[in-house]
Amino acid sequence: MNDVGYAALVLALLFSVYGAAVSFWGARKGLKELLESAEHAVFAVAALTTISAAALLYALISRDFSLEYVASYTNSTQDILYLIAAFYGGNQGSLLLWAWVLGIIAALVIWLHRREHGDLMPHVITVLMITEFFFITLMVVAANPFTKLGFQVADGQGLNPLLLNMGMLFHPPTLYLGYVGFAVPFAFAIAALVTGQLGDRWVKVTRRWTLFAWFFLTLGNLFGAQWAYVELGWGGFWGWDPVENASFMPWLTGTAFLHSVMIQERRGMLKVWNMVLILATFCLTIFGTFLTRSGVLSSVHSFGQSALGPYFLLFISGTLLATLSLLFYRLDDLRGDNELDSFLSRESAFLVNNLILIGAAFAVFWGTVFPIISEAVRGVKLTVGAPFFNQVNLPIFLILLTVMGICPLIGWRRASKENLLRNFMVPAAVGLASAVALMWLGVREFLTVLPLALCAFVTVTILLELVRGVRARHNLRHENYFSAIFTLIWSNKRRYGGYIVHLGVIMIAIGVIGAYGFKSEKSATLAKDDTVQIGDFVLQYKGSSNYPAKSHEVVAASLDVFEGQRRIDRLVPRKNYYPSQEQPSTEVAIRTTLREDLYVILEDVSEDGSASLKVLINPLVVWLWIGGAVLLLGTLIAFWPDAREKRRKTVVAEPQESRSLQAVGSQGGRR
Amino acid sequence: MSAVDSRARAATSPSKDRIPARPQKKAWLPRLMRQKKFIFAGVIIGLAIAYLIFSALQGTTMYYLTVGELKAKGEAVYTEPVRLGGKVVDGTIDFNRNSRVLKFTVTDGKESLPVAYSGVVPDAFKPDADVILEGKFNGTDFQATTLLAKCPSKYVPTGLE
Repeated sequence: MNDVGYAALVLALLFSVYGAAVSFWGARKGLKELLESAEHAVFAVAALTTISAAALLYALISRDFSLEYVASYTNSTQDILYLIAAFYGGNQGSLLLWAWVLGIIAALVIWLHRREHGDLMPHVITVLMITEFFFITLMVVAANPFTKLGFQVADGQGLNPLLLNMGMLFHPPTLYLGYVGFAVPFAFAIAALVTGQLGDRWVKVTRRWTLFAWFFLTLGNLFGAQWAYVELGWGGFWGWDPVENASFMPWLTGTAFLHSVMIQERRGMLKVWNMVLILATFCLTIFGTFLTRSGVLSSVHSFGQSALGPYFLLFISGTLLATLSLLFYRLDDLRGDNELDSFLSRESAFLVNNLILIGAAFAVFWGTVFPIISEAVRGVKLTVGAPFFNQVNLPIFLILLTVMGICPLIGWRRASKENLLRNFMVPAAVGLASAVALMWLGVREFLTVLPLALCAFVTVTILLELVRGVRARHNLRHENYFSAIFTLIWSNKRRYGGYIVHLGVIMIAIGVIGAYGFKSEKSATLAKDDTVQIGDFVLQYKGSSNYPAKSHEVVAASLDVFEGQRRIDRLVPRKNYYPSQEQPSTEVAIRTTLREDLYVILEDVSEDGSASLKVLINPLVVWLWIGGAVLLLGTLIAFWPDAREKRRKTVVAEPQESRSLQAVGSQGGRR
Repeated sequence: MSAVDSRARAATSPSKDRIPARPQKKAWLPRLMRQKKFIFAGVIIGLAIAYLIFSALQGTTMYYLTVGELKAKGEAVYTEPVRLGGKVVDGTIDFNRNSRVLKFTVTDGKESLPVAYSGVVPDAFKPDADVILEGKFNGTDFQATTLLAKCPSKYVPTGLE
């Protein structure tokens, strides 16, 4: 099986080169047979990478310790779920996951779009297959998951205990789907540049792919935060580690892209800007993959040092060079159809949103690569940590929140000031009122009050927008208010899906503000029946217990939680000791309410039975996860196929031809 | 110049909204001039962000040093927090349960330094683990306020002695 897996990889490598080259030539010479052959090559790559992935999966599940990869990341006591998760637990396997997902997505792209967009398809194939070629090359040359160990081992080393968490099952695959997903809009962008079809077609085709990638990248980041929160045991969910930044940067530029393509679709503007954004996003996904495995930046989450760095840098710089020269070549054709009319327009609000998102991405990038730059320029390695990122990003994200609130209030093109002021009054009043209310409740920190008031402001703008729509539907069509909400959202999925996403973002912001603004913590060493107080809670230590589990020893401390005189809960923070890893794994105990999380870390239990604990109150953290769910729901609504869209497609049979005719006509008219 | 101008202006007029403009060569400068207030605003935003980055860097940068480099700096860094990377020396780990202070020696392969740390010990902390410390050096030992640990990722064949 292992030889089959490797052979499939090598074959996939050949087919990816073949596909890339043949579709390029086929498009140049206009040879239909070559193009068809290239498409078949893509299907072959998808099949071969699937075979290769299946072979590795089989080796993992059957615990075939003759493979170095299997012996490194599985052992005889590991659960089946974590045997599967071991697939991407190491450098080699995660590269295979990248290549496999890309293979499948490339095949899917051809299957879905080749009829309507046959003219773009050859170049899309070339781009996707070059990327595929790059990832398979990495495996074949430097990081082969099918390397044989060469000697017998009784048992494998197993996944690191920190990875034995539900987060490991969800975080990496979703993140990779997000990373790989952005290759599709990028490939279409290149195809648009090469063919000169620079209208909004490539944007329209890839809207759902962008949403798809954004959906999974968001999900991946949220799963990562949640995993860090429950597993790493320091009470936080985001540490601005290089690896976290690596997945946050493409999210920022991807979010900017998602917004700015709307302007291209609607007003035919920002064509160059969109090209630059998708290029940046694609490069950042590759850069993120590179950061986690190059060893250039010290990170606690990265894979070990590997020799892949130069390959990645070569690929990224090649991509940048090729795309930027194409862009330069097409610069004249990328002129906007319209220009900005007024500061008070949705276009400029979107532009501000874009600049700010890019600014945030750049700030995060700069902080992340700062050690490398300072070492190269000044010869000393200087680093920045969480304080830098918090300090830079706080004002940036406050402005972003504000823009998010203002955007729905402003019309396209040129908004009237009176109109804007009228729309502005209620939300601004509510924002102000909530600020006063917070102060009255005893919250005095300016940097906590201001963001929360902004959140109230934005929420009201969105809700007002909904109310207006619902009222109009009620008056015009006599629908009752309740059902009008659903029909309104369902008949404008993109718009209201977007607003729901914004509501989710607000909830996430509230979670972040709570966790940073109101956090409290306490350390204590308790003998049996001793208590410790934090906030409104009193925790009483009721003793510890030791017991063996399947693959590890468990030490657990039991704590009764009292609120006033009433016992409300029992928390059992644990520590798992894995003999095969000589390493414990701290399992925190969390009591979650909508208001706050009571978060208990067991540091250790000494021989005399006393337990050392760290207790934290993390206010409002649960809103991160609720907001995440709302945001994903909104994305799904925006993603959902639209009946109107389908009808439009069938009525206007050949949108492309009619457009070019129109263009010719207008040119002729002016001449 | 004027011809270019009027045509471009026509493209912005409301009635021609949906008609794609003709591609034109070499019309960049006048276009840019007409949009100058927006470009100006964009530049202001860009500068503001640059200033934010610059000012945040002032207070938050830290030297990232190996044990040898730290010792070589000596007195120069006694007063400022630094980041120190190295490996935990096997057999030097000593944890005092009463004072909750963890002591161990960190090495860069050549030189080594005693470390004192109080706080939550990360799970991955163990002999030979790679650690990143933040704290101050006082000439004899390193008082760490942050301890990050990464497990050695090299393959260790178990059951083969």
